[in-house]
Amino acid sequence: MIEALQQTGFQRVRVCHFFNSFSGTTKEGVARKYAVQGANFIAYKAA
Amino acid sequence: MSIACPVSLDREKLKSEVRATYAKVAENPQGEFHFHRGPEYAARLLGYDLEELNALPPIATAPFAGVGNPFMMEALPSGGTVIDIGSGAGMDCLLAARRVGPQGRVVGIDMTDAMLARARRGAAEAKLPQAGFEKADMTELPLDSGTVDVVISNGVINLAPEKQKVFNELFRVVRPGGRLQFADIIVGTELSEEVRNNIDLWTG
Repeated sequence: MIEALQQTGFQRVRVCHFFNSFSGTTKEGVARKYAVQGANFIAYKAA
Repeated sequence: MSIACPVSLDREKLKSEVRATYAKVAENPQGEFHFHRGPEYAARLLGYDLEELNALPPIATAPFAGVGNPFMMEALPSGGTVIDIGSGAGMDCLLAARRVGPQGRVVGIDMTDAMLARARRGAAEAKLPQAGFEKADMTELPLDSGTVDVVISNGVINLAPEKQKVFNELFRVVRPGGRLQFADIIVGTELSEEVRNNIDLWTG
């Protein structure tokens, strides 16, 4: 995701926060197996 | 993490499945799904302010199915233009509309009619006319180039089979100096072809 955003032209791309978005759902095991979690991203277009 | 849809996966079928899944969420947010919904989830696991969410119409908050919190990053500009990619029932749009204020503009983009209907009703009930909603594909936004201050999104870009097209389109509409601040899922391991072709996993 970060590489794709950078290749598009966005700058200062970074992940800011992580979330256990699937905790307590029926897909919690799958999420854990594949290390799936929610994340906040920020990216800027040059001025 | 690969951003391309597997060649063998039918992209139109995927879009159709995504649309069908979220239409079901719009019709019955309390139904059986393999992802969380609603304001209590948003507050408990994603850091939203439950008091602020409870002040919004339930028609907008009950189907919320985001995976993070775009409001944890930079403050949205008062009077600015914000778009929400995959706005669903509009909860994040209404929060954004409160932040940009009456001089600002928020445009929610979604492809599910039932979600758009909920979102429009929610904006009317919340008396936030600066929030509007458009039916569109996230690879073809109905917006002029360089007109958007901030793009938000919450758990939707991962549903797009062609993410590079989405990013190109977002780059087009964002003004110089503008930004994306969005939430999405990340996958920490390389996925097998079999898993990547599993539509059930994509639509969640």
